[in-house]
Amino acid sequence: MEFKSISEELSALKYKKSIEREMEDYFESKGFSIIEPDIFQNYDDFLLSNFRHDSSKTVKVLGGDSKIFILRPDITSNILGKILSRWEGKPPLKVYYNSRVYSNSPGGGIKESYQVGVESLGDKPIVADTEILEMAITLMESLKTPYVLELGSSKYLDSYIRELKLNSKDEFQIRNLLAKKNKDELINLLKKKDIKSPILDAILDMEGNMEEVIQKARRLYVNYEMEGSLNSVESLMAFFKERDLLDKVNLDLSMIPDLDYYDGIVFKGYCQGTSKKVISGGRYDKLTEMFGRNVSAVGFMIDLGLATQLRYRGENR
Amino acid sequence: MNGVTIALAKGRLGEKGLDLFKDTDMEIIREKDTRKLVFKDYKESITYIFVKPSDVMTYVEKGVADLGIVGKDMILEEDKDIYELMDLNYGKCRFAIAGFKDQTTVKEDDVLRIASKYPNYVKRVFEDRGQKVEIIKLGGSIELAPIIGLSDIIVDLVETGSTLKENGLVILEELDPISARLVANKASYRIKYDTIKKIEKILGGAK
Repeated sequence: MEFKSISEELSALKYKKSIEREMEDYFESKGFSIIEPDIFQNYDDFLLSNFRHDSSKTVKVLGGDSKIFILRPDITSNILGKILSRWEGKPPLKVYYNSRVYSNSPGGGIKESYQVGVESLGDKPIVADTEILEMAITLMESLKTPYVLELGSSKYLDSYIRELKLNSKDEFQIRNLLAKKNKDELINLLKKKDIKSPILDAILDMEGNMEEVIQKARRLYVNYEMEGSLNSVESLMAFFKERDLLDKVNLDLSMIPDLDYYDGIVFKGYCQGTSKKVISGGRYDKLTEMFGRNVSAVGFMIDLGLATQLRYRGENR
Repeated sequence: MNGVTIALAKGRLGEKGLDLFKDTDMEIIREKDTRKLVFKDYKESITYIFVKPSDVMTYVEKGVADLGIVGKDMILEEDKDIYELMDLNYGKCRFAIAGFKDQTTVKEDDVLRIASKYPNYVKRVFEDRGQKVEIIKLGGSIELAPIIGLSDIIVDLVETGSTLKENGLVILEELDPISARLVANKASYRIKYDTIKKIEKILGGAK
Protein backbone atom coordinates (compact mmCIF):
# COMPACT_ATOMS: atom_id res chain seq x y z
CA MET A 1 0.00 0.00 0.00
CA GLU A 2 1.20 3.52 -0.83
CA PHE A 3 0.48 6.38 1.52
CA LYS A 4 0.29 10.02 0.54
CA SER A 5 2.71 11.21 3.17
CA ILE A 6 5.52 9.55 5.03
CA SER A 7 4.01 10.41 8.41
CA GLU A 8 0.85 8.53 7.49
CA GLU A 9 2.91 5.57 6.42
CA LEU A 10 4.92 5.61 9.63
CA SER A 11 1.88 5.69 11.85
CA ALA A 12 0.20 2.87 9.91
CA LEU A 13 3.37 0.82 10.18
CA LYS A 14 3.59 1.53 13.88
CA TYR A 15 0.07 0.27 14.34
CA LYS A 16 0.74 -2.88 12.33
CA LYS A 17 3.93 -3.58 14.27
CA SER A 18 2.11 -3.21 17.59
CA ILE A 19 -0.33 -5.90 16.49
CA GLU A 20 2.47 -8.16 15.29
CA ARG A 21 4.22 -7.72 18.62
CA GLU A 22 1.06 -8.58 20.51
CA MET A 23 0.64 -11.75 18.46
CA GLU A 24 4.28 -12.74 18.91
CA ASP A 25 4.07 -12.20 22.67
CA TYR A 26 0.99 -14.36 22.75
CA PHE A 27 2.69 -17.17 20.80
CA GLU A 28 5.72 -16.99 23.11
CA SER A 29 3.47 -17.19 26.15
CA LYS A 30 2.01 -20.41 24.75
CA GLY A 31 5.46 -21.95 24.48
CA PHE A 32 6.03 -21.40 20.75
CA SER A 33 9.41 -20.18 19.59
CA ILE A 34 10.20 -18.09 16.56
CA ILE A 35 11.66 -19.62 13.42
CA GLU A 36 13.07 -17.80 10.39
CA PRO A 37 12.38 -19.48 7.07
CA ASP A 38 15.09 -19.22 4.39
CA ILE A 39 14.37 -16.63 1.76
CA PHE A 40 16.09 -18.51 -1.10
CA GLN A 41 15.14 -22.08 -1.84
CA ASN A 42 16.79 -24.46 -4.26
CA TYR A 43 14.38 -24.70 -7.18
CA ASP A 44 15.01 -28.39 -7.90
CA ASP A 45 14.43 -29.38 -4.28
CA PHE A 46 11.28 -27.31 -4.20
CA LEU A 47 9.87 -29.00 -7.29
CA LEU A 48 10.52 -32.42 -5.79
CA SER A 49 8.32 -31.82 -2.77
CA ASN A 50 5.78 -29.49 -4.43
CA PHE A 51 5.04 -31.18 -7.73
CA ARG A 52 1.59 -29.63 -7.90
CA HIS A 53 2.77 -26.06 -7.48
CA ASP A 54 2.13 -23.72 -10.38
CA SER A 55 5.73 -23.03 -11.38
CA SER A 56 4.87 -19.86 -13.28
CA LYS A 57 4.01 -18.23 -9.95
CA THR A 58 7.37 -18.73 -8.26
CA VAL A 59 9.89 -15.90 -8.44
CA LYS A 60 13.20 -17.25 -9.77
CA VAL A 61 16.65 -15.95 -8.99
CA LEU A 62 19.85 -16.95 -10.76
CA GLY A 63 22.75 -17.76 -8.43
CA GLY A 64 26.44 -17.12 -9.18
CA ASP A 65 27.07 -20.60 -10.54
CA SER A 66 23.90 -20.46 -12.67
CA LYS A 67 21.92 -22.50 -10.16
CA ILE A 68 18.27 -21.53 -10.01
CA PHE A 69 16.78 -20.42 -6.72
CA ILE A 70 13.30 -19.20 -5.88
CA LEU A 71 12.10 -16.64 -3.38
CA ARG A 72 10.06 -18.59 -0.84
CA PRO A 73 6.50 -19.00 -2.09
CA ASP A 74 5.14 -20.40 1.17
CA ILE A 75 6.35 -20.89 4.68
CA THR A 76 5.00 -24.19 6.00
CA SER A 77 6.89 -26.41 3.56
CA ASN A 78 9.95 -24.20 3.91
CA ILE A 79 10.23 -24.67 7.66
CA LEU A 80 9.21 -28.33 7.51
CA GLY A 81 12.22 -28.96 5.28
CA LYS A 82 14.40 -27.07 7.72
CA ILE A 83 13.10 -28.83 10.81
CA LEU A 84 12.47 -32.41 9.79
CA SER A 85 15.93 -33.06 8.37
CA ARG A 86 17.63 -32.11 11.62
CA TRP A 87 15.10 -32.75 14.36
CA GLU A 88 16.29 -35.05 17.14
CA GLY A 89 12.69 -36.14 17.46
CA LYS A 90 12.02 -34.76 20.89
CA PRO A 91 8.35 -33.84 20.59
CA PRO A 92 6.48 -31.64 20.72
CA LEU A 93 8.13 -28.89 18.72
CA LYS A 94 6.17 -25.65 18.56
CA VAL A 95 7.21 -22.78 16.34
CA TYR A 96 5.80 -19.54 14.97
CA TYR A 97 6.88 -17.34 12.09
CA ASN A 98 6.36 -13.78 10.93
CA SER A 99 7.72 -13.42 7.42
CA ARG A 100 6.94 -12.58 3.83
CA VAL A 101 6.23 -14.75 0.83
CA TYR A 102 6.73 -13.91 -2.83
CA SER A 103 4.90 -14.71 -6.02
CA ASN A 104 4.75 -13.40 -9.59
CA SER A 105 1.67 -11.27 -10.08
CA PRO A 106 -0.26 -11.31 -13.38
CA GLY A 107 0.77 -7.75 -14.28
CA GLY A 108 4.43 -8.75 -14.44
CA GLY A 109 5.39 -7.51 -10.99
CA ILE A 110 6.40 -9.43 -7.90
CA LYS A 111 3.87 -9.65 -5.08
CA GLU A 112 5.07 -9.62 -1.50
CA SER A 113 2.67 -10.63 1.25
CA TYR A 114 2.97 -10.96 4.99
CA GLN A 115 2.27 -14.24 6.72
CA VAL A 116 2.15 -14.90 10.42
CA GLY A 117 1.45 -18.39 11.64
CA VAL A 118 2.10 -21.24 14.05
CA GLU A 119 2.96 -24.91 13.62
CA SER A 120 2.79 -27.61 16.28
CA LEU A 121 4.73 -30.78 15.46
CA GLY A 122 4.83 -34.16 17.17
CA ASP A 123 2.22 -33.49 19.86
CA LYS A 124 -0.69 -35.83 20.59
CA PRO A 125 -3.22 -34.99 17.83
CA ILE A 126 -6.20 -34.09 19.99
CA VAL A 127 -4.08 -32.04 22.39
CA ALA A 128 -2.47 -30.13 19.53
CA ASP A 129 -5.78 -29.64 17.67
CA THR A 130 -7.39 -28.16 20.77
CA GLU A 131 -4.44 -25.91 21.49
CA ILE A 132 -4.22 -24.63 17.90
CA LEU A 133 -7.97 -23.96 17.75
CA GLU A 134 -7.86 -22.18 21.07
CA MET A 135 -5.12 -19.91 19.75
CA ALA A 136 -7.02 -19.27 16.52
CA ILE A 137 -10.12 -18.31 18.53
CA THR A 138 -8.11 -16.04 20.82
CA LEU A 139 -6.72 -14.20 17.79
CA MET A 140 -10.15 -13.88 16.20
CA GLU A 141 -11.50 -12.46 19.48
CA SER A 142 -8.70 -9.90 19.54
CA LEU A 143 -9.92 -8.37 16.26
CA LYS A 144 -12.98 -6.98 18.08
CA THR A 145 -15.23 -7.85 15.12
CA PRO A 146 -18.01 -10.46 14.99
CA TYR A 147 -16.61 -13.68 13.52
CA VAL A 148 -17.40 -17.28 12.64
CA LEU A 149 -15.01 -20.20 12.71
CA GLU A 150 -15.70 -22.71 9.96
CA LEU A 151 -14.55 -26.16 11.01
CA GLY A 152 -14.30 -29.27 8.86
CA SER A 153 -12.77 -32.69 9.13
CA SER A 154 -11.52 -33.92 5.77
CA LYS A 155 -11.14 -37.51 7.01
CA TYR A 156 -14.88 -38.09 7.25
CA LEU A 157 -15.45 -37.48 3.55
CA ASP A 158 -12.06 -38.64 2.24
CA SER A 159 -12.22 -42.09 3.78
CA TYR A 160 -15.75 -42.49 2.52
CA ILE A 161 -14.94 -41.45 -1.04
CA ARG A 162 -11.99 -43.85 -1.02
CA GLU A 163 -14.36 -46.65 -0.07
CA LEU A 164 -16.68 -45.86 -2.99
CA LYS A 165 -13.83 -46.68 -5.41
CA LEU A 166 -14.95 -44.12 -7.98
CA ASN A 167 -13.00 -43.61 -11.16
CA SER A 168 -10.80 -40.52 -11.01
CA LYS A 169 -12.96 -38.46 -13.37
CA ASP A 170 -16.14 -39.02 -11.35
CA GLU A 171 -14.31 -38.35 -8.10
CA PHE A 172 -12.89 -35.12 -9.49
CA GLN A 173 -16.34 -33.98 -10.60
CA ILE A 174 -17.96 -34.89 -7.29
CA ARG A 175 -15.28 -33.09 -5.31
CA ASN A 176 -15.65 -30.01 -7.46
CA LEU A 177 -19.41 -29.91 -6.98
CA LEU A 178 -18.97 -30.39 -3.23
CA ALA A 179 -16.45 -27.56 -3.10
CA LYS A 180 -19.01 -25.29 -4.80
CA LYS A 181 -21.85 -26.58 -2.57
CA ASN A 182 -23.70 -27.31 -5.78
CA LYS A 183 -26.27 -29.71 -4.40
CA ASP A 184 -28.64 -29.77 -7.38
CA GLU A 185 -25.94 -30.71 -9.87
CA LEU A 186 -24.43 -33.23 -7.44
CA ILE A 187 -27.74 -35.06 -7.05
CA ASN A 188 -28.15 -35.09 -10.84
CA LEU A 189 -24.66 -36.47 -11.35
CA LEU A 190 -25.16 -39.23 -8.77
CA LYS A 191 -28.40 -40.18 -10.45
CA LYS A 192 -26.84 -40.16 -13.92
CA LYS A 193 -23.87 -42.26 -12.82
CA ASP A 194 -26.11 -44.55 -10.79
CA ILE A 195 -24.08 -43.97 -7.64
CA LYS A 196 -26.32 -44.82 -4.71
CA SER A 197 -24.96 -43.15 -1.62
CA PRO A 198 -27.04 -41.90 1.28
CA ILE A 199 -23.96 -40.11 2.60
CA LEU A 200 -23.25 -38.12 -0.58
CA ASP A 201 -26.97 -37.34 -0.83
CA ALA A 202 -26.91 -35.83 2.65
CA ILE A 203 -23.36 -34.51 2.95
CA LEU A 204 -24.14 -30.95 1.86
CA ASP A 205 -26.66 -30.68 4.68
CA MET A 206 -24.09 -31.77 7.21
CA GLU A 207 -23.15 -28.26 8.23
CA GLY A 208 -24.17 -25.69 10.77
CA ASN A 209 -24.57 -26.17 14.50
CA MET A 210 -21.93 -28.63 15.77
CA GLU A 211 -24.23 -30.72 17.93
CA GLU A 212 -26.85 -31.19 15.21
CA VAL A 213 -24.31 -32.00 12.51
CA ILE A 214 -22.54 -34.61 14.61
CA GLN A 215 -25.88 -36.19 15.43
CA LYS A 216 -26.77 -36.40 11.74
CA ALA A 217 -23.35 -37.78 10.79
CA ARG A 218 -23.44 -40.38 13.58
CA ARG A 219 -26.35 -42.03 11.84
CA LEU A 220 -24.45 -42.38 8.58
CA TYR A 221 -20.80 -43.32 9.06
CA VAL A 222 -19.68 -46.57 7.48
CA ASN A 223 -16.07 -47.11 8.50
CA TYR A 224 -13.64 -46.86 11.34
CA GLU A 225 -11.92 -43.74 10.02
CA MET A 226 -15.18 -41.84 9.68
CA GLU A 227 -16.11 -42.77 13.22
CA GLY A 228 -12.69 -41.67 14.40
CA SER A 229 -13.04 -38.29 12.74
CA LEU A 230 -16.46 -37.81 14.38
CA ASN A 231 -14.98 -38.71 17.75
CA SER A 232 -12.25 -36.12 17.43
CA VAL A 233 -14.70 -33.45 16.29
CA GLU A 234 -16.86 -34.34 19.27
CA SER A 235 -14.03 -33.83 21.71
CA LEU A 236 -13.35 -30.43 20.13
CA MET A 237 -17.02 -29.64 20.64
CA ALA A 238 -16.62 -30.31 24.34
CA PHE A 239 -13.86 -27.72 24.37
CA PHE A 240 -15.96 -25.11 22.55
CA LYS A 241 -18.90 -25.84 24.84
CA GLU A 242 -16.80 -25.36 27.92
CA ARG A 243 -15.66 -21.95 26.63
CA ASP A 244 -19.20 -21.03 25.63
CA LEU A 245 -18.12 -20.61 22.01
CA LEU A 246 -20.48 -23.04 20.29
CA ASP A 247 -22.42 -20.26 18.57
CA LYS A 248 -19.21 -19.00 16.94
CA VAL A 249 -18.45 -22.34 15.32
CA ASN A 250 -19.98 -23.65 12.13
CA LEU A 251 -19.16 -27.31 11.50
CA ASP A 252 -19.02 -28.37 7.85
CA LEU A 253 -18.32 -32.04 7.15
CA SER A 254 -18.60 -31.48 3.40
CA MET A 255 -15.71 -29.03 3.37
CA ILE A 256 -13.13 -29.70 0.66
CA PRO A 257 -9.85 -28.17 1.86
CA ASP A 258 -8.14 -25.57 -0.34
CA LEU A 259 -4.82 -27.38 -0.02
CA ASP A 260 -4.85 -31.08 -0.72
CA TYR A 261 -2.29 -31.99 1.92
CA TYR A 262 -4.69 -31.29 4.73
CA ASP A 263 -5.92 -34.47 6.43
CA GLY A 264 -7.92 -34.18 9.62
CA ILE A 265 -9.33 -30.97 10.98
CA VAL A 266 -9.44 -27.97 8.64
CA PHE A 267 -10.61 -24.53 9.66
CA LYS A 268 -11.11 -20.98 8.43
CA GLY A 269 -11.94 -17.81 10.31
CA TYR A 270 -14.25 -15.25 8.73
CA CYS A 271 -15.06 -11.77 10.07
CA GLN A 272 -18.08 -9.63 9.43
CA GLY A 273 -17.53 -7.08 6.68
CA THR A 274 -14.82 -8.89 4.71
CA SER A 275 -15.00 -11.32 1.84
CA LYS A 276 -11.77 -13.15 2.63
CA LYS A 277 -10.71 -15.54 5.37
CA VAL A 278 -8.57 -14.00 8.09
CA ILE A 279 -7.26 -17.28 9.45
CA SER A 280 -6.86 -20.64 7.77
CA GLY A 281 -5.30 -23.82 9.00
CA GLY A 282 -5.53 -27.50 9.61
CA ARG A 283 -3.77 -30.79 10.20
CA TYR A 284 -1.19 -31.82 7.61
CA ASP A 285 0.52 -35.03 8.78
CA LYS A 286 0.52 -36.18 5.14
CA LEU A 287 2.82 -33.32 4.13
CA THR A 288 5.48 -34.31 6.66
CA GLU A 289 5.83 -37.67 4.92
CA MET A 290 7.17 -35.88 1.86
CA PHE A 291 10.04 -34.67 4.02
CA GLY A 292 10.89 -38.19 5.02
CA ARG A 293 9.22 -38.39 8.38
CA ASN A 294 5.69 -39.03 9.54
CA VAL A 295 4.90 -36.58 12.30
CA SER A 296 1.67 -35.28 13.78
CA ALA A 297 1.44 -31.70 12.49
CA VAL A 298 -1.14 -28.93 12.77
CA GLY A 299 -1.02 -25.17 12.35
CA PHE A 300 -2.58 -22.05 10.94
CA MET A 301 -1.70 -18.75 9.39
CA ILE A 302 -3.15 -15.29 9.57
CA ASP A 303 -3.61 -12.75 6.82
CA LEU A 304 -1.80 -9.98 8.68
CA GLY A 305 -2.91 -7.15 6.39
CA LEU A 306 -6.56 -8.07 6.78
CA ALA A 307 -6.23 -8.66 10.53
CA THR A 308 -4.68 -5.21 11.00
CA GLN A 309 -7.45 -3.58 8.99
CA LEU A 310 -10.19 -5.38 10.95
CA ARG A 311 -8.64 -4.60 14.29
CA TYR A 312 -8.31 -0.92 13.36
CA ARG A 313 -11.94 -0.78 12.31
CA GLY A 314 -13.02 -2.74 15.38
CA GLU A 315 -11.25 -0.36 17.75
CA ASN A 316 -12.54 2.78 16.05
CA ARG A 317 -16.13 1.73 15.78
CA MET B 1 -26.32 -5.37 11.06
CA ASN B 2 -27.19 -8.82 9.76
CA GLY B 3 -28.83 -7.57 6.57
CA VAL B 4 -28.26 -9.43 3.35
CA THR B 5 -27.50 -7.88 -0.04
CA ILE B 6 -28.58 -9.73 -3.18
CA ALA B 7 -27.21 -8.82 -6.60
CA LEU B 8 -29.61 -9.50 -9.46
CA ALA B 9 -28.79 -9.56 -13.14
CA LYS B 10 -30.51 -6.63 -14.84
CA GLY B 11 -33.19 -7.81 -17.25
CA ARG B 12 -35.53 -10.75 -17.42
CA LEU B 13 -33.45 -13.09 -15.29
CA GLY B 14 -33.24 -10.67 -12.34
CA GLU B 15 -36.87 -9.55 -12.59
CA LYS B 16 -38.00 -13.13 -12.42
CA GLY B 17 -35.65 -13.70 -9.49
CA LEU B 18 -37.31 -10.85 -7.65
CA ASP B 19 -40.71 -12.41 -8.34
CA LEU B 20 -39.66 -15.45 -6.34
CA PHE B 21 -39.74 -13.29 -3.21
CA LYS B 22 -43.33 -12.21 -3.82
CA ASP B 23 -45.73 -12.84 -0.92
CA THR B 24 -42.87 -13.62 1.45
CA ASP B 25 -41.67 -11.29 4.18
CA MET B 26 -38.72 -10.40 1.96
CA GLU B 27 -40.85 -8.92 -0.81
CA ILE B 28 -40.14 -5.41 -2.04
CA ILE B 29 -42.61 -2.88 -3.32
CA ARG B 30 -41.34 -0.93 -6.32
CA GLU B 31 -42.78 2.04 -8.08
CA LYS B 32 -43.41 1.23 -11.72
CA ASP B 33 -40.92 2.18 -14.44
CA THR B 34 -38.34 3.23 -11.94
CA ARG B 35 -34.70 3.49 -12.94
CA LYS B 36 -33.42 3.05 -9.43
CA LEU B 37 -30.89 0.25 -8.97
CA VAL B 38 -31.10 -0.30 -5.22
CA PHE B 39 -34.19 -1.51 -3.34
CA LYS B 40 -34.90 -2.64 0.19
CA ASP B 41 -37.67 -4.86 1.51
CA TYR B 42 -40.07 -3.24 3.95
CA LYS B 43 -38.20 -4.47 7.00
CA GLU B 44 -34.99 -3.22 5.42
CA SER B 45 -33.30 -6.52 6.17
CA ILE B 46 -32.64 -7.25 2.52
CA THR B 47 -31.14 -5.00 -0.12
CA TYR B 48 -31.59 -5.87 -3.76
CA ILE B 49 -29.21 -4.36 -6.27
CA PHE B 50 -29.54 -4.58 -10.04
CA VAL B 51 -26.26 -4.91 -11.89
CA LYS B 52 -24.98 -5.88 -15.32
CA PRO B 53 -25.34 -9.68 -15.70
CA SER B 54 -21.63 -10.14 -16.31
CA ASP B 55 -20.85 -8.23 -13.09
CA VAL B 56 -22.98 -10.28 -10.67
CA MET B 57 -20.17 -12.78 -10.07
CA THR B 58 -17.69 -10.00 -9.32
CA TYR B 59 -20.03 -8.33 -6.82
CA VAL B 60 -20.51 -11.64 -5.03
CA GLU B 61 -16.87 -12.73 -5.04
CA LYS B 62 -15.78 -9.36 -3.64
CA GLY B 63 -18.46 -9.60 -0.96
CA VAL B 64 -20.31 -6.32 -1.66
CA ALA B 65 -23.25 -8.60 -2.41
CA ASP B 66 -23.72 -11.65 -0.17
CA LEU B 67 -25.86 -13.50 -2.68
CA GLY B 68 -26.48 -13.26 -6.39
CA ILE B 69 -29.02 -14.50 -8.87
CA VAL B 70 -27.28 -15.13 -12.15
CA GLY B 71 -27.30 -17.41 -15.19
CA LYS B 72 -25.14 -20.53 -15.21
CA ASP B 73 -23.55 -19.14 -18.40
CA MET B 74 -21.91 -16.36 -16.35
CA ILE B 75 -20.78 -18.84 -13.71
CA LEU B 76 -19.10 -20.99 -16.37
CA GLU B 77 -17.51 -17.98 -18.04
CA GLU B 78 -16.26 -16.16 -14.96
CA ASP B 79 -15.07 -19.15 -12.89
CA LYS B 80 -15.01 -17.24 -9.59
CA ASP B 81 -14.39 -18.48 -6.08
CA ILE B 82 -18.00 -18.61 -4.82
CA TYR B 83 -20.60 -21.13 -3.71
CA GLU B 84 -23.28 -22.17 -6.17
CA LEU B 85 -26.12 -22.92 -3.80
CA MET B 86 -29.19 -23.59 -5.89
CA ASP B 87 -30.55 -24.27 -9.32
CA LEU B 88 -33.56 -21.95 -9.53
CA ASN B 89 -34.95 -23.89 -12.47
CA TYR B 90 -35.95 -20.98 -14.68
CA GLY B 91 -34.29 -19.09 -17.51
CA LYS B 92 -33.56 -22.45 -19.07
CA CYS B 93 -31.57 -22.70 -22.27
CA ARG B 94 -28.24 -24.25 -23.23
CA PHE B 95 -24.82 -23.55 -24.61
CA ALA B 96 -24.42 -24.88 -28.13
CA ILE B 97 -21.95 -24.90 -30.96
CA ALA B 98 -23.66 -23.65 -34.11
CA GLY B 99 -22.67 -23.27 -37.74
CA PHE B 100 -23.89 -24.03 -41.23
CA LYS B 101 -25.56 -27.35 -42.02
CA ASP B 102 -23.08 -30.11 -42.99
CA GLN B 103 -20.32 -28.28 -41.12
CA THR B 104 -18.31 -30.09 -38.41
CA THR B 105 -16.48 -28.89 -35.32
CA VAL B 106 -13.24 -30.35 -36.62
CA LYS B 107 -10.89 -28.62 -39.02
CA GLU B 108 -7.88 -30.77 -39.72
CA ASP B 109 -4.54 -29.05 -40.31
CA ASP B 110 -6.14 -25.67 -39.87
CA VAL B 111 -7.24 -23.26 -37.19
CA LEU B 112 -10.92 -23.40 -36.26
CA ARG B 113 -12.21 -19.87 -35.72
CA ILE B 114 -14.92 -19.57 -33.07
CA ALA B 115 -16.90 -16.42 -32.30
CA SER B 116 -18.51 -16.12 -28.86
CA LYS B 117 -19.48 -13.83 -26.03
CA TYR B 118 -17.92 -16.43 -23.72
CA PRO B 119 -14.19 -16.80 -24.58
CA ASN B 120 -13.10 -18.45 -21.32
CA TYR B 121 -15.82 -21.04 -21.57
CA VAL B 122 -15.03 -21.80 -25.22
CA LYS B 123 -11.36 -22.18 -24.34
CA ARG B 124 -12.22 -24.81 -21.72
CA VAL B 125 -14.61 -26.69 -24.02
CA PHE B 126 -11.97 -27.04 -26.74
CA GLU B 127 -9.02 -27.59 -24.38
CA ASP B 128 -8.85 -31.38 -24.67
CA ARG B 129 -10.07 -31.74 -28.23
CA GLY B 130 -6.73 -31.55 -29.99
CA GLN B 131 -8.09 -28.86 -32.29
CA LYS B 132 -6.25 -25.60 -32.86
CA VAL B 133 -8.72 -22.78 -32.27
CA GLU B 134 -8.83 -19.04 -32.52
CA ILE B 135 -11.42 -17.49 -30.25
CA ILE B 136 -12.99 -14.22 -31.34
CA LYS B 137 -14.77 -12.33 -28.58
CA LEU B 138 -17.86 -10.43 -29.61
CA GLY B 139 -20.34 -8.42 -27.55
CA GLY B 140 -23.47 -9.48 -29.42
CA SER B 141 -25.02 -10.48 -32.78
CA ILE B 142 -22.87 -13.61 -32.70
CA GLU B 143 -24.90 -15.24 -35.48
CA LEU B 144 -23.48 -12.70 -37.89
CA ALA B 145 -19.90 -13.95 -37.53
CA PRO B 146 -20.05 -17.09 -39.74
CA ILE B 147 -22.26 -15.35 -42.29
CA ILE B 148 -19.77 -12.60 -43.00
CA GLY B 149 -16.81 -14.93 -42.65
CA LEU B 150 -15.45 -13.65 -39.35
CA SER B 151 -15.51 -17.16 -37.87
CA ASP B 152 -16.17 -20.77 -38.86
CA ILE B 153 -18.57 -21.54 -36.04
CA ILE B 154 -20.06 -19.89 -32.95
CA VAL B 155 -20.69 -20.85 -29.34
CA ASP B 156 -23.73 -19.18 -27.85
CA LEU B 157 -26.83 -19.61 -25.70
CA VAL B 158 -29.70 -21.24 -27.54
CA GLU B 159 -33.24 -21.18 -26.20
CA THR B 160 -35.60 -22.13 -29.04
CA GLY B 161 -33.15 -21.99 -31.90
CA SER B 162 -35.26 -19.56 -33.89
CA THR B 163 -32.55 -16.88 -34.09
CA LEU B 164 -30.14 -19.46 -35.48
CA LYS B 165 -32.71 -20.64 -37.99
CA GLU B 166 -33.48 -17.15 -39.23
CA ASN B 167 -29.81 -16.68 -39.93
CA GLY B 168 -29.41 -20.01 -41.68
CA LEU B 169 -27.47 -21.68 -38.88
CA VAL B 170 -28.03 -25.01 -37.10
CA ILE B 171 -26.90 -26.55 -33.83
CA LEU B 172 -23.81 -28.69 -34.43
CA GLU B 173 -23.35 -29.80 -30.86
CA GLU B 174 -25.18 -29.26 -27.58
CA LEU B 175 -23.06 -28.22 -24.59
CA ASP B 176 -23.92 -27.42 -20.95
CA PRO B 177 -27.54 -26.80 -19.91
CA ILE B 178 -28.10 -23.32 -18.46
CA SER B 179 -30.54 -21.96 -15.88
CA ALA B 180 -30.70 -19.28 -13.20
CA ARG B 181 -28.65 -20.00 -10.08
CA LEU B 182 -28.34 -18.68 -6.56
CA VAL B 183 -24.67 -17.98 -5.73
CA ALA B 184 -23.09 -16.90 -2.45
CA ASN B 185 -19.93 -15.25 -1.20
CA LYS B 186 -17.97 -17.75 0.90
CA ALA B 187 -17.45 -15.47 3.90
CA SER B 188 -21.05 -14.21 3.88
CA TYR B 189 -22.27 -17.78 3.73
CA ARG B 190 -20.76 -18.41 7.16
CA ILE B 191 -21.31 -15.01 8.77
CA LYS B 192 -24.96 -14.81 7.66
CA TYR B 193 -25.61 -18.55 7.61
CA ASP B 194 -29.09 -18.52 9.19
CA THR B 195 -30.49 -15.75 6.96
CA ILE B 196 -29.06 -17.36 3.83
CA LYS B 197 -30.59 -20.72 4.75
CA LYS B 198 -33.93 -18.95 5.19
CA ILE B 199 -33.63 -17.39 1.73
CA GLU B 200 -32.74 -20.78 0.25
CA LYS B 201 -35.91 -22.16 1.78
CA ILE B 202 -38.05 -19.37 0.30
CA LEU B 203 -36.53 -19.89 -3.14
CA GLY B 204 -36.80 -23.66 -2.82
CA GLY B 205 -40.52 -23.36 -2.10
CA ALA B 206 -40.97 -21.21 -5.17
CA LYS B 207 -39.36 -23.67 -7.56
